[in-house]
Amino acid sequence: MRLKEKIEAGRFIVCGEITPPQSCNGNILREKLKYFRDYTDAVNITDNQRAIVRLSSIASAKILLDEGIEPIMQMTCRDRNRLAIQSDLLGAAALGIKNLLCLTGDHQIFGDQPEAKGVFDLDSTQLVAAAARMNSGFLLSGFEMKQKPEFFIGAAANPFAEPFEMRLINLYKKAEAGARFIQTQPVFDIETFSRWMERAAEMGLHKKTAIIAGIMPVHSAKTLNMMKEKVPGMKINDEYICRLNKAQDPKEEGVKIAVELINAVKNLKGIRGIHLMPVMWESITPVIITESKIKEFNKIE
Amino acid sequence: MIEDLVTINKPVLGARERILSRFLLLLEDIIKVPLFRCQRCGECILSSTAFICSQNCPKRLRNGPCGGTRKNGYCEVYPERKCVWYKIYYRSKLLNRMSILYNLKKIHNWNLEKTSAWLNVFRKRIEPPVWFVHNDKNKVKELISHEA
Repeated sequence: MRLKEKIEAGRFIVCGEITPPQSCNGNILREKLKYFRDYTDAVNITDNQRAIVRLSSIASAKILLDEGIEPIMQMTCRDRNRLAIQSDLLGAAALGIKNLLCLTGDHQIFGDQPEAKGVFDLDSTQLVAAAARMNSGFLLSGFEMKQKPEFFIGAAANPFAEPFEMRLINLYKKAEAGARFIQTQPVFDIETFSRWMERAAEMGLHKKTAIIAGIMPVHSAKTLNMMKEKVPGMKINDEYICRLNKAQDPKEEGVKIAVELINAVKNLKGIRGIHLMPVMWESITPVIITESKIKEFNKIE
Repeated sequence: MIEDLVTINKPVLGARERILSRFLLLLEDIIKVPLFRCQRCGECILSSTAFICSQNCPKRLRNGPCGGTRKNGYCEVYPERKCVWYKIYYRSKLLNRMSILYNLKKIHNWNLEKTSAWLNVFRKRIEPPVWFVHNDKNKVKELISHEA
């Protein structure tokens, strides 16, 4: 069963995430796949995350497909204008890559080449809408294609940045534009997240789009502290930093926190899955998924 | 079907119209640049963004903030500046113009860059401004509760 069918059938989804290497060696990517193969339903492939040049997300997604793992290809608007985006999407569809996560993209100033020109011809909501139009057989020029690409379109949401209500308007717009699933930023603040989820459910958005909660395992207090200070738009509960600081084995505590967060999130109304983002710590995925028993979790709503 | 997302099959400005556009742009600049820090995109959406120019966003977003708004509403790229969309949200709330924020804004037509938005409205190249919003709260309610 493909991701689309699983979501439509109401199965609880577990997604992973791999950051492609800064290298032309595809084997580095293949090496990491063993951590995801039997544990996740699909794996996200980031698209030059934090504006650092990496193996392209289309090529990486193709490598995953060849290895028998379903990819979710991320597509950002930072590096491509509307022509390149449509051409890349057609290319991806031709290779059999159907799952698409539409993002605006991190600003180039955060990367190692801040001198670059940011394109931002479209924004993420417009990208969702453009992909939906391609699904119905049209390019943005109005040209009608004989074959439809049949993307399964997703988008991201950040419940933690301010202003709170604007985030819900964004979610509404993305769902209306045609996003069939939503992956959120990593949850480190259950209170805000459940408030956001409650409001989204009140607006009926959980029926229009499958909301998948982001979970990020961290292995040290230093990483979490750095994220709190350096990554804008994150809300991190100090309790977790304290716990990681005090723990004798921070890695074990990190796993514990991730499992706790999964358990807290999975029962919220409208949550249809979790999205694990072990940035540069892919090897922990099997441990967390086994310990949280999330694969056996079945949610009836 | 495509037209509500992107401008297609609209002729670009002719040579004679360019002169008129340049003259009107001069007038427009005198008013809009000091008042709104207008970035002269030619496809003005000021009326949908509570009269704050969304094109001052480093990513030039037309459909809402990115995920990087810092604590207390500062921009992720320029931490000393307020996020444009943070300001738009609070001003829209103040002016009771929230229901417009729910509409999807078209992909920008770069052909209109540095042309007069007033002339473009007159020539029906871009959508006309929304001056008054009646019953804003009810409109929002209708938008978000039709299936809940």
